[in-house]
Amino acid sequence: MGKYRVVHYINQFFGGIGGEDKAGLLPQVRSGKAGPGIALQNYLGEEFEIVATIVCGDNYFAENTVKATSEILNMIKEYKPDIFFAGPAFNAGRYGIACGAICETVQETFKIPAVMGVYPGSPAADMYARVLTLAATADSARGMEEAIKRMVYIGLKLFRNESLADPEVDNYIPRGIRKNILLPDIGAKRAVEMLVKKLKGESFITEYPMPVFDRVPPAHPIIDLSQAVIGLTGCGGIVPKGNPDRVEASSATKYGTYSIAGIDNLTGDQFESAHGGYDTTYANEDPDRVLPVDVLREMEKEGKIKKLHDIFYSTVGNGTSVDNARKYGQEIAQKFKDSAVNAVIVTST
Amino acid sequence: MDLENQNRVKEIAETYGVENVVVVLGNLDPGGAEVFAETVTKGDPTYAGPLAGVSLELPVYHIFELKEEVDKDIWQDNVAMMELVLDVEGLISTVKNIRNIYSKNIIPV
Repeated sequence: MGKYRVVHYINQFFGGIGGEDKAGLLPQVRSGKAGPGIALQNYLGEEFEIVATIVCGDNYFAENTVKATSEILNMIKEYKPDIFFAGPAFNAGRYGIACGAICETVQETFKIPAVMGVYPGSPAADMYARVLTLAATADSARGMEEAIKRMVYIGLKLFRNESLADPEVDNYIPRGIRKNILLPDIGAKRAVEMLVKKLKGESFITEYPMPVFDRVPPAHPIIDLSQAVIGLTGCGGIVPKGNPDRVEASSATKYGTYSIAGIDNLTGDQFESAHGGYDTTYANEDPDRVLPVDVLREMEKEGKIKKLHDIFYSTVGNGTSVDNARKYGQEIAQKFKDSAVNAVIVTST
Repeated sequence: MDLENQNRVKEIAETYGVENVVVVLGNLDPGGAEVFAETVTKGDPTYAGPLAGVSLELPVYHIFELKEEVDKDIWQDNVAMMELVLDVEGLISTVKNIRNIYSKNIIPV
């Protein structure tokens, strides 16, 4: 029987073509292994053969993602791989995202294991940890050897349909999967044991790691508020009465876009809160309490601000996933920017 | 080590023979020195350049190890200043360690 066929994706730098100046490189295919593929082949052993290496410039991929993905997919298809590897990309932003995008597509299209290596703090780790098994690597290419070892270990397990152990044991980035397991001690005992260790300054492993949230650098201050167009948005759920867009009371899957042109004051006749996570009695009585249109209109008249933007965007923050919230935030921010809004007030509940 | 420099080292080693080449590094930090030293001995640890998978096993030194070999005035003009600000001990021990593991034809200093 022949060897299992492997295809490997790397960027222009690891393909030995060059750095930033060559980042526009169009995808090209080389037969056999190249660059880190030498180490990959060593660790994969005789049973596997890297039949082709795809090399693509980071900028080309980032600027032509859809086109590049389809071009690369066509190249990969020719080689009929049994397993696919990409990177490792370490902490490289564009390279990591390219590896993730290709692995995801390869996994879906060819139904074969697609494994990449990436630094846990990199953007690609956030984007792809839930859809791919990402080998956790160092932040720079100095960790190449170990990164390749981990990618191969995970790749072979997936290839052989073996189940993965915990992320910290098999060195992959947590996929957000929770499994029920049986432990000999009850939760209270385990919690007290952890606390005692913590008090003694000893190390312990939490059973429920807290989510890590982004830190957003504050924007530049407004120099002259009287010349500023101010926008309003928020997650307090203020929507036109009847909630025409059906923004959900919790775990919102959308945000609404509403006009306040000509409105000096949000009244309970016209607006209400769609939020399901707090007592909305007072918000429904006077929606300005959550989205202060009245005060901003006064400031507009007094010339303290140049203008209140006539559109507001609104969603419900109750249990809404961070991923969705981030997506809404980015879209809303872009819309404000496109409308030349200078500053935005984000209200909660 | 960038692709161009890897190529140069490779060409020089091929032209003159690995037994006739010594590499002297001038890296500023032990981390960088480690990668460079490994590149010219075991092979490019990042697997990005021409020395990926190529073990030249060249004897490699950091310039700080060769102070006795250098003319005092030249040292004063070119290296002395950096000697005051860099982690000399760390650089020497890092390169020495890699040399002891991977280099052949070591000349004792």
